Amino acid sequence: MTSTVDRRRTRYRVLAASLLAPALLLAACSSGSGDPAAGPATSATSTPDTATATPGGTLRFALGASPSGVDPQQVGSNVSIYIARQLADSLTDQDPATGEIVPWLATSWDVSDDLTTFTFHLRDDVTFSDGTPLTATTVKANLDALAGPLGASAPLAASYLGGYTETRVDDEHTVTVVFGAPNAQFLQATSTVSLAILSDATATADPAARLQGEVVGSGPFVLESYTQDQGAVITRRDGYAWASEVSQNQGEAYLDQIDFTVVPESGVRAGGLASDQFDAVGDVLPQDVAQVEGAGGSVLTRTNPGVTFVLQPNVTVAPLDDPDVRQALNVAIDRQQLVDTVLSDAFKPATSVLASTTPGYTDLSDDLAFDAAKAEQLLDGAGWTKGTDGIREKDGAKLSVDVVYAPLFTGSQAVLELAQQQLRAVGVDLVLRQLTPADQQAVLTSGDYDTYYYNVTRADADILRTQFSSAGRNVNKRAADDVLDPLLDSQLATADPAARADLVAQAQQEIVGEALAIPLFELAQSIGVAGDVHGVAFDASSRLLFHDAWIEQP
Amino acid sequence: MSLLGTRPADVVGARRASAVLPASPGPVSTGTTSTGASSAGAARTTSLRARPGTGPATGRLARARRHPLARPGALVALLVVTVVVAWALVPTAFTSADPITGVPADNLLPPSAAHWFGTDHLGRDLFARTVHGTGLSLQAAAVAIVIALGAGSLLGLVAGFVGGRVDDVLMRLTDVLLAIPGLLLSLAVVTVLGFGTLKVAIAVGVASVATFARVMRAEVLRVRSATYVEAARLAGARRGSVVVRHVVPNAAGPVLALATIELGTVVLAVSALSFLGFGAIPPTPEWGSLVAEGRNYLATAWWYSTLPGLVVAVVVLSAGRLGRAFERGGRTAR
Repeated sequence: MTSTVDRRRTRYRVLAASLLAPALLLAACSSGSGDPAAGPATSATSTPDTATATPGGTLRFALGASPSGVDPQQVGSNVSIYIARQLADSLTDQDPATGEIVPWLATSWDVSDDLTTFTFHLRDDVTFSDGTPLTATTVKANLDALAGPLGASAPLAASYLGGYTETRVDDEHTVTVVFGAPNAQFLQATSTVSLAILSDATATADPAARLQGEVVGSGPFVLESYTQDQGAVITRRDGYAWASEVSQNQGEAYLDQIDFTVVPESGVRAGGLASDQFDAVGDVLPQDVAQVEGAGGSVLTRTNPGVTFVLQPNVTVAPLDDPDVRQALNVAIDRQQLVDTVLSDAFKPATSVLASTTPGYTDLSDDLAFDAAKAEQLLDGAGWTKGTDGIREKDGAKLSVDVVYAPLFTGSQAVLELAQQQLRAVGVDLVLRQLTPADQQAVLTSGDYDTYYYNVTRADADILRTQFSSAGRNVNKRAADDVLDPLLDSQLATADPAARADLVAQAQQEIVGEALAIPLFELAQSIGVAGDVHGVAFDASSRLLFHDAWIEQP
Repeated sequence: MSLLGTRPADVVGARRASAVLPASPGPVSTGTTSTGASSAGAARTTSLRARPGTGPATGRLARARRHPLARPGALVALLVVTVVVAWALVPTAFTSADPITGVPADNLLPPSAAHWFGTDHLGRDLFARTVHGTGLSLQAAAVAIVIALGAGSLLGLVAGFVGGRVDDVLMRLTDVLLAIPGLLLSLAVVTVLGFGTLKVAIAVGVASVATFARVMRAEVLRVRSATYVEAARLAGARRGSVVVRHVVPNAAGPVLALATIELGTVVLAVSALSFLGFGAIPPTPEWGSLVAEGRNYLATAWWYSTLPGLVVAVVVLSAGRLGRAFERGGRTAR
């Protein structure tokens, strides 16, 4: 649905970039500083980097895995979001440094005391890349779709809208979202890519077509092309002037174009950066850091907030229906060794089920400390005795546990192989079952797994409710209880940050105490960038932003 | 590559024969001299032509000397294959290291006296993983060959012996199979079957059926029109017994020789599929997956993919060399 007029103009711009460069710089400056509605932002915060930023050029980015699509609202994997985040804006933005929610498409908002009614006052100068303006009706169309038919294929967005009653259009640029129950996490949710606002036409388009590229947003870049399993090309959006205050660049993006290419081998990505085939590469693994830095590049890292990479057990099937066995797995994993052996310094061992950058995180490293003797003791106590091959047995059954995983993060297989080796040392056989992301999702529905390996990135502790509540995604397949479920529900209804953090801490203790998750490590984005690339930034959820990025022009 | 490899061996073998038998009668020395001077292709025909003139006692010796397996290249190949088969049968006799459990602190060590092939990203001994992976890799290759040989020979036999419409239909089917590149066909089959070494073996076997069917059919056609088969039929032997007692034994030689030649290709195809992730699931070692696992470390740990890859290459070349030796041996014997 990208307007062909717009595309043609963009291509023309690309061709004429060198001629137009000085003019563009002027345009970028004027739209940034001359816009009164830009919020309390701003050009005052420019670093020397942006002062000398040169517009133009194409940034070539190597992705570590195939994106699952380019629709901001439906995708969940980091590589997909690297592309999709550039195409669309959200109602609010979250400052990665402070976690504070700041204006973006909405200039201000009012939240009722009972956390059920959220009124947003929208900017009046925002247009989508097909030329249509952003209005209150657009926001309503987006949220109605996500709470309705689109929810099935956009599980994250749907979970943020739990208890959604309606969206009221108060006037052309004022919109009120009403929930049937308190929803403390909704304001932060409006800053996520999952609740990005797309055009009216996109909101009603076919979900599958949207994933393949039928997406019109208001972001600093416009999708030029997307080829599944190969990559995507995005080009600068002309006239973009509604960046949030988190962004240093308040005008159009500096880059003319970004070419995303899927390159699954990390060594090839690093080599591509060193030989100037790429300007930036994703998922730099420890063995590649030297090569990236040797070529004059640097590695940017940021820990993803949210649920760490975990093995989440299905508690309905043996042997993991026994809490002692689950607990044994938790202390049999040497998390520090995982990080030291197969991941880089950018990664941290998990010290809770939430990553340390998540608001509300509590340190449970004592409960998760490596203790093989304790693991053996727990397993002995549960009646599992070591067989001749070193794997434990009980009533003729081997202590064999499978793990379903999808190769969404380059390092996953090595991590699981090492975890497999650590668990074998205490007599547990971990069987690796690699699936495609779609198959993994199907397996989750069917419940045909012992443990489910994944992570979820979100800068709000409500992600625990999404993943662990028996009414949520319920990867544990557990029945409703009267301890964890009430904790997860009440944090959602608590406005006071300190009280909410306390509830969240209790929930984490309960999850780790019952071993409803076996946390492994905190995912970090580890991005290699060439020496002449500047301004590549992480948002609050540790996903890449290219709005400020620029390349030194010769 | 194997063609290039055989030439020097041919020449050396021939020279040795003439050096050992300085006083041998004319035909032999003439034959060997011309063999040494001519190309590999010509050598085959000359030595065959030379045979009828060979004297009884010296001839047997010369034939033994000239037996294709007696050539140094073939001997080395035989040695390689023997060692690798021994790896498959008793891996623990060759390495005491644990192929599954490593020492994480010792990861990515270069080759040394303690770790001949170095260590992998989890600190496992790569030589141990290569040796222990042999069994699975060779087993898969053997299953693939058995499938290809069995199904292919049966198809070829039926097509060649029955002839007519049946022949047309079966041969058009094999044409279709031959039209699709072997690895692509294997990929299609394994995608349907799913992951696992046995499934990879089946997929590779299916892709080789057509080649065997073609060779078997050609041999059956040749044998079917032979006078002794005609005689047997005229003498009242039933079709079944003619097939079993006369056609199959006489057509089998070239097909079996083909099987040994194909063995190398099949080892490569099995490794290719397991390289692509269709084979054994971790931590089970297998040649192809060992090479695949090392890809991410090529720039920093050259030994990881290289050494297991070299083992595959040497085994494939050796199997090919042996196959050619058997093929030639078969012709000489006939």
